[in-house]
Amino acid sequence: MTEGEEEESTQEPRAVVRRRRRWSSVWVVPAVALVLAGWLVWKHYHDKGPLAYVRFSTAESIEAGKTEVRCRSVRVGIVEKIELANDLQSVVAEVRIDPDSEGLLRRESRFWVVKPRVSASTISGLGTLITGAYIELEPGDGPPPVHHFDGLEEPPVTSANVPGLRLTLVAEDAGSLTAGSPIYYRGFEVGRVERRTLDIENRRIRFDVFIDDNYADLVREGTCFWNTSGIDVTAGADGFKLSTPSFQAMLSGGASFAVPKGGVPGRPINDGRVFGLFPDEDAAKKSIFVPDHKCLLFFDQSVRGLTVGAPVEFRGIPLGRVVEISFEHSPNGDSRVPVVVEIDSDTLTKAVEDIDNGKDVLAECVRRGLRATLSTGSLLTGALYIDLDFVPDAPPAELTKSGEYDVIPTLSSGLAQLENKVNAILAKIEKLPLEETLNKFGTAADEIAITVKEVRSAIDEAEAALVEAKKLLARDETQNITAELEATLKEVRGSVESLGPNGAVQGDLSRTLDELRAALRAFKTLSDSIEEKPNSLLFGRESSGNSEPKAKRK
Amino acid sequence: MGEVRTAASEGLASCHMCGKVSPVREGHCPRCHSKLHLRKPHSLERTWSFLIAAAAFYFPANLLPMMSVSGLAGNSSDTILSGVINFWKKGDFLVAIIIFSASIMIPILKMIALTWLCLAASGFTSASPKNLARLYHVTEFVGRWSMVDVFVVAVLVCLVQLGVISTVTPGPAILSFASVVVLTMFAAMSFDPRLLWDRHVEEAAESPETT
Repeated sequence: MTEGEEEESTQEPRAVVRRRRRWSSVWVVPAVALVLAGWLVWKHYHDKGPLAYVRFSTAESIEAGKTEVRCRSVRVGIVEKIELANDLQSVVAEVRIDPDSEGLLRRESRFWVVKPRVSASTISGLGTLITGAYIELEPGDGPPPVHHFDGLEEPPVTSANVPGLRLTLVAEDAGSLTAGSPIYYRGFEVGRVERRTLDIENRRIRFDVFIDDNYADLVREGTCFWNTSGIDVTAGADGFKLSTPSFQAMLSGGASFAVPKGGVPGRPINDGRVFGLFPDEDAAKKSIFVPDHKCLLFFDQSVRGLTVGAPVEFRGIPLGRVVEISFEHSPNGDSRVPVVVEIDSDTLTKAVEDIDNGKDVLAECVRRGLRATLSTGSLLTGALYIDLDFVPDAPPAELTKSGEYDVIPTLSSGLAQLENKVNAILAKIEKLPLEETLNKFGTAADEIAITVKEVRSAIDEAEAALVEAKKLLARDETQNITAELEATLKEVRGSVESLGPNGAVQGDLSRTLDELRAALRAFKTLSDSIEEKPNSLLFGRESSGNSEPKAKRK
Repeated sequence: MGEVRTAASEGLASCHMCGKVSPVREGHCPRCHSKLHLRKPHSLERTWSFLIAAAAFYFPANLLPMMSVSGLAGNSSDTILSGVINFWKKGDFLVAIIIFSASIMIPILKMIALTWLCLAASGFTSASPKNLARLYHVTEFVGRWSMVDVFVVAVLVCLVQLGVISTVTPGPAILSFASVVVLTMFAAMSFDPRLLWDRHVEEAAESPETT
C-alpha cells in the first residue's frame, strides 16, 4: 500500500485525502439479521401461548399432539404431552392454549373429556366417535392466571355460566337420584341434579341442583323437595298408594318440588340455599307443620301399627306427627307405652278459636276434654294414627308434665275399645247361670219325651180310624155305586146316537146342503153370462151393436 | 520467500469483473470499465458482518419448527434437530446422519471456518496459508449444498397438499435456514483469500528482521 501511495503522490501533486468511513454500510446486514432473528424467535415463543397442566385420572382417549381443547366447539388449544403424575395416581396433560385464548385459563375454569357417553338419561358426544375425543374447556369467573387444573371425570350437567338457580339438597338416602337426574315441577322438567356427594361428616348425601333461570322463581322459601325415583308403593294409615313418575325418572331417578298445600311460599331464594330432600311426596307434605310443641302420650294398650312419623290429627286435620316410641320416657314401674309426638300448637289454636292466646291453649283444651286416642287408619294394613278430639264424657283430667314434655291424657279406643267391649261381653256370658239353664233344659227334655209318648198314642188312634174306613169301603152300599155309574153311561151313549146318520140332526143337515147346492148353481149361470158379455152388467143382456153407455141420468 | 514478487507489489490489479490484469493506477479496467482494486475492498469487514448475520439466523433456524404436518394423525411440527432425532429413533440412521451433517454440522462448520480465516487474515493465528486456502475452497464449495434441506421442504410443501388427510406447511425456520445458507455464501464470497497470502508475506518480511 505504501508503494501505491508513493506512486499516487508522485503523479498527482494534489492529494485527494478521503477520510475512510469508520463504519461501513455493510454492518446494516448483521444488525437487521440480529433484529429479524430475535424477533422470529420471540414471536415463535410468544405465539405458542401458555401451557396449562390438567390432571385427569386416566388418559383414556386423549392423545398427545392430536386431542384438541375446545371451548364451545371452538378450538383453543391442543394437548402437547401426557405424562403420569409423580404420585402415579393420575395423568397430567400438558395443554398448549392458543395465545388469543389465554384469558380462558381462570380459577374456576373446568376441563373434561368429551367422548361418547351413553346413560339411562342421556346420550352425548356421539360426534367424537369419528373425530376422536376432545377436551372441553369451560371458562370460569375466577382471576385469570392459573395454569394447573383438575379435570372433571364426568362432564358437568350444566355449564357454570348458564344462568339459573343453584341449590343444594340434603338427603338421608341417595336413592336412585344421580347426576343428571331431572328435577320436576308438577311433572315438568325444570332443572337437573348436577352432582351428588357424600357428606361423610354428617353422613348425608348432598345433591347440587340446577334450576333453569326461567323457573327459578318457582323455588321459594317454603318449597319442599322430594324424591320421585322409581315406583313408590306405600301402605300407610290411608291405605295403599302407588305412584309412578315418568319413565325417564323411573330409570334415572328424579326429584320434584312444590309448595305443599297450606304452606306459605315465602320469598324467592338465592343461589346456594340448602333444602332437605324428603323421601317421598307424603313426607314433604307433612313437613309443612312447624311442630313447636312436644308432648308425651301414655297409652295403656298395644301400639303395634303405630310408626314413627305417623300422623297426629285433630278431627281429621293433620296437626303433627309421632316422633318417638320408647320406654325411655316412661317413669319406672309404669307399663304404659310412652309416645312422643310433636304438634303444631298454632294449628290447634286456630282449631279452637275461643281460647285466649294468653292462656296455655293445650292445658285449656285438656281441661275441656281433649284426649288422645289411637285410631286405625287402614284396616288393611293395621296402621295406626293418633287422633286428638274433645271427648264429651271424658273423666276430668289436667295437663301434667313428665320430664320436659306435657302429657296429654289418653283414652283407649278403636280396636282397643272393641276389644274391651268384647271382653265385657265375654264377662257377661261368663256370669250367666249356665248350669241352671242346662238343668232346665234337662227337665224340658223330659217333658218333651212325655209329649212324644202322647203323640205316639194319638197316632195309634189315627191308625184305628183308618182301619174302620177300610171296613166301610168293603161294605155293599159302596159296591152299588158302580152299577149306577154303568146306567149313566148307557144314557150318554143313546144321546150320542141321535147325532148319527139315522138321527134327526142328520136329516136337517142334508136339506141345508141341497139348498146351498142350488144357490151355487144359480151363481154359476150368472158368472158365465158375465164371462160372455162383461158389459151385460152395464147394458143388459139383449142390447147389441152400438151400445150406449147408460150413464146415470141427471 | 521475501523475494517473491506479487502483482500487488508491481501495482497490478486483476479486474473483479473480467479478470484482466491492469495497473491499478488507471483506476478503471480498460476492458470493462469497472473499478480496479488491488484487493476486494472492505473484504474482512463484509465477511465479518455476513458471518454475524448468518450466526444470528442460525438460532431461529434450529429453534423454530422447520415444517409442520397436519392431518388425520394430528399435527406435528418438527425442528431440524427433532426431525433428526425422530429419524434416528425410527432406525433411519443414514437419513438422520445426512440431515444432521447437511443441516446442522455444515453451516456451523462453515461459520467456524470463516471465522478462523478472518482471524488468520487479521493475523491472530499462524497457520500455513496453504492449508487455510484449501479450507477456504472447501468452504466455498460445500456451501451451496446445505440448501438441500430447503429444497426438500419446498418439494414436500408442493407435493403433500392432500387437504384433510395430510398437509405440509413450511415452518418459520425455513426462511432463517435459507438466510443462514445464503449469508454464509455471501461471507465466503466477500472473503478475499489473497489476504491470507499478504499476511504471510508480511510475516515473512518481518520475521527475518526480528530474528
